[in-house]
Amino acid sequence: MPDFPIIQTQNICKSFYLEGGQEIPVLRGVDLEVQKGEFVALMGDSGGGKSTLLNVIGCLHPATFGSYFLDGEDIGHISDDYTLAFIRNRKIGFIFQSFNLLHKLSALKNVALPGIYHGMPKEEREQKASQLLIDMGLFDHAEHRPTKLSGGQQQRVAIARALINDPQIILADEPTGALDSHTGEEIMKIFMKLKSKGKTILMVTHSPSAAHYADRIIFMRDGRIIDQNYKIPK
Amino acid sequence: MNLEILNMAGSALTSNKTRTALSALGVVIGVSTVILVVGIGLGAEQKVEQQFKNLSANSLIIMSEMGHDAIGSSKLGIEDVDLVKNASMVKTATAMLGGNVSAAYGKESASKRVIGGTAEIFPISNLNIGAGRAFTDEESADRANVAVLGWQVANDLFGDGNENDSVGKTITLKNKKFEVIGVLEKNGSGMPMLSPDDSVYVPILTAEKALFGSTGMFVINAQITDVKLVDVATYEITTMLRKAHNIRKGRADDFQIRDAGSMVAAATGAAAMMTNLLISVAAIVLLVSGIGIMNVMFVTVTERTREIGIIKAIGGRQKDILTQFLLEAIILSITGGVLGIIIGFSAIPLLNQMEGWYVMPSLKGALLGFIFSGFVGIFFGFYPALRASRLDPVDALRGE
Repeated sequence: MPDFPIIQTQNICKSFYLEGGQEIPVLRGVDLEVQKGEFVALMGDSGGGKSTLLNVIGCLHPATFGSYFLDGEDIGHISDDYTLAFIRNRKIGFIFQSFNLLHKLSALKNVALPGIYHGMPKEEREQKASQLLIDMGLFDHAEHRPTKLSGGQQQRVAIARALINDPQIILADEPTGALDSHTGEEIMKIFMKLKSKGKTILMVTHSPSAAHYADRIIFMRDGRIIDQNYKIPK
Repeated sequence: MNLEILNMAGSALTSNKTRTALSALGVVIGVSTVILVVGIGLGAEQKVEQQFKNLSANSLIIMSEMGHDAIGSSKLGIEDVDLVKNASMVKTATAMLGGNVSAAYGKESASKRVIGGTAEIFPISNLNIGAGRAFTDEESADRANVAVLGWQVANDLFGDGNENDSVGKTITLKNKKFEVIGVLEKNGSGMPMLSPDDSVYVPILTAEKALFGSTGMFVINAQITDVKLVDVATYEITTMLRKAHNIRKGRADDFQIRDAGSMVAAATGAAAMMTNLLISVAAIVLLVSGIGIMNVMFVTVTERTREIGIIKAIGGRQKDILTQFLLEAIILSITGGVLGIIIGFSAIPLLNQMEGWYVMPSLKGALLGFIFSGFVGIFFGFYPALRASRLDPVDALRGE
């Protein structure tokens, strides 16, 4: 085990600005450490800053202030699109509440898509995508469009897509939020499998039963972490 | 890599076929307009060239001033030819008296342009005798009823391919008998009805006496010694004619003098101006079609905001998104351009079948159309593509 956390933020602040220039602070100094291979759930009140924190960690938008180390590298000050896109492509896999698949593409093509931006040759890309769909139990649906699939199936396609470039980190924003409890359980079992393969998972969730699977729950309120090791009340 | 993005751009276009077709339609119309317009312009220029093929650059054309209220006696006449011939800068001069009369041989008859001239008319007008001979000075002076036929006239009266058999035969012009003494070589120039091929040549005095009287159109064609002397020669002839016609100082000329060079230049200039005017019309059509493409691209970007967000989240760079949307616009406009070229070229033969139309197909038109359409795609596709590439990924993912 390396002696540094794979994700480390120090005093991260993020504000949005209204058109009149008025500042809306969303993150007010977040210190977070996630170790390699750890499965961490982020819980908290709505508007508490969970998703914004996840987006900063996922390099989807930069922090206003503070430092962010990813795998030991200080990337908090990087603003060039080329590098940020590279990180999103290689180091991070995103999973969303609403799946965010491209409806015009088949399941297989959706899974293979990040491989295009990786520069993977078509054959390798589609072979990897097929293997991932087999792992997700969806091989029969490889040529189907997402609209033909159930919610649980769509989320499994999205998970396969997040894995195609073999990232170290999985960031999930309410992955079970649009699914019934039984399907949600299935998705969490896949997450446990990913954890067993050494992936680091950071998951925003409202669902106590999903959070239950995590090694640790972090609780946020008003843009701050108020509990690094939250216990769900019985 | 770029091939993959090209592929994605293509499949995005085929996923909404109606919209793609409608937005390409503007370019199709624009480019086929360019093709036709360039063809019409070139056709007009060529027509002008043909029309003046029989005019030497050092010709001066002297004719009566139309609608001039000059006193009866002072009018341009055959006697003025000798006067003009004596001008110091004039090499040679010939007069022409022309008009339309009915020409007949046996059962064949047609209205033909008859030109009365002196023997010099053939060298001055660059006309070659194909069979038989030209009329002599004696025949001119004797007012002999002899005629030299244009190539087409001989074919019309004696049957196709028999033009040389006409020499020695007798035809009638305005019901008077004329002996055919010669036939011209095929000239192939000019507009129908005004070409030497469609004309009959007779001695000028014969034309005046037997055919026209004073009703025909009278023209003196003077060859000056040097093209550079056009202005001086014009002045000299003007002075001589004013004196001969007793025109007092301050009164207008009862004739006008034009030089071949400026007549050609004016006609060519008019044709070129028409071409430019038509090209500007086509450019406006393309501009409008470009704005149409830009509009469609903006709608597309708005509709696909979420897709753009997803592509950014999985590692697509701004450059990749810019490339994809720009390629969509370029494919759209170039497809329209190629279709426009095909339609434009197919329309040319159809238009040429219509009376009075002459459209010339040209590589210039095709290239111009193709370059324009590509330019429209790049120019009007760039801004929407740039906007797409610069969307904030989080906002885009939230968008619908």
